Amino acid sequence: MPAALDAIIDELRESDRQERIDLLIDFAKNLPPLPPELEARKDAEHRVEECQSPVYLFVEMIGDRVALYGDAPAEAPTVRGFVSLLLEGLNGAAPEDVLKVPGDLVDRCGLTEVLGMLRVRGLAGVLRRIKRDVARVAMLQHAGH
Amino acid sequence: MGEAYAHPEALVSTQWVQDHLDDPKVRIVESDEDLLLYDLGHVPGAVRIDWQGDLQDQVVRDYINADRFAELCSKSGISSDTTVVFYGDKSNWWACYAFWAFTLFGHKNLKIMNGGRKLWIDESRPLTRETPAYPRTDYKVAGGDEAAIRAFRDDVLAHMKAGGKLIDVRSPKEFTGEMQHMEDYPQEGALRAGHIPGAKSVPWSRAVDDEGKFKSVPELKTIFEKEAGLKPADDVVAYCRIGERSSLTWFVLTYLLGYPRVRNYDGSWTEWGNLVRAPIERGPGA
Repeated sequence: MPAALDAIIDELRESDRQERIDLLIDFAKNLPPLPPELEARKDAEHRVEECQSPVYLFVEMIGDRVALYGDAPAEAPTVRGFVSLLLEGLNGAAPEDVLKVPGDLVDRCGLTEVLGMLRVRGLAGVLRRIKRDVARVAMLQHAGH
Repeated sequence: MGEAYAHPEALVSTQWVQDHLDDPKVRIVESDEDLLLYDLGHVPGAVRIDWQGDLQDQVVRDYINADRFAELCSKSGISSDTTVVFYGDKSNWWACYAFWAFTLFGHKNLKIMNGGRKLWIDESRPLTRETPAYPRTDYKVAGGDEAAIRAFRDDVLAHMKAGGKLIDVRSPKEFTGEMQHMEDYPQEGALRAGHIPGAKSVPWSRAVDDEGKFKSVPELKTIFEKEAGLKPADDVVAYCRIGERSSLTWFVLTYLLGYPRVRNYDGSWTEWGNLVRAPIERGPGA
């Protein structure tokens, strides 16, 4: 797993309930805006279906490193915070490290404890979507595109 | 357009709430789908009541018991005669759910803030991050008439067999059975997709406008009576996937249109879609 994500997980895990909420809110506030060219491409293909809120993800390769972009509405701070956390933890990582991120990341961050089991349902979908897109983009690049 | 809601006292405006922020007889309660919203900023003086963490038993699939409800109210500064005003995100889904849950315990004087959290913010009304603390009360649970507003699976089966009216408020694709919503929704999963035979599809969101406010009586009558074929005297059961969105429809039919007999089937599709020998129907329905 990428070191940056590892550090974020550690920080969340060592925090108490209110600190975890505050950290997630900070992540939500600090989600960088989408570059204008991606803003124009917010379509069904880039929407995470598993989330009830409109969440969009974009994956590119810059050299041999993963570049992630995402957007989620301010009215859905939980998912916005989680997208922001993943972007910060995974940007610049090697694709194989992204693919190694454990599927139970939400649990490992202690977010299930804070948010409750029913609420974290869409979050796992965001991570899966990122891994799927990273695998696809990395494979295309490997094939010489 | 001027036709009044059947029970207009159950709905208050954002201005009414702002005028009653310091009213000791009124307690404002925020109930959201997204837990973090309250922490980001809420109506000054509002307490948070979470449908999952506060109102549901985490072991039994049921609501908390009367003792725990009394404790929740006592620590939130709510007395038996306090007027409780709910508001929240997603056009007041969870606010309606909390309203319904409070009704189960027999609390009177419940209201919904029309337009919810979004309208309050859109109107640039005050927000705070400060969590209020109120003097403890000694709440006494009145005890509600659960059978009047809550349907269990056997009630629903009997209702269905008798040709009773059923309103399915999930998305159209869940209704037809095209979408099962299994993947990544392990806690909301159902083994089969479709709807309860005879149910009409009226997605919950149709009852609210773009501002998040409830539609007018004529608009609601068009949706529920002309299109879905309900009549005011009907015995109606509403359901969704876990029983939260259908409490919004329960609120609309009971308080805005004045139907005397509406029950929320909170077991909903996660129960029905998994029940052995429970009949289901696929496709667009009758």
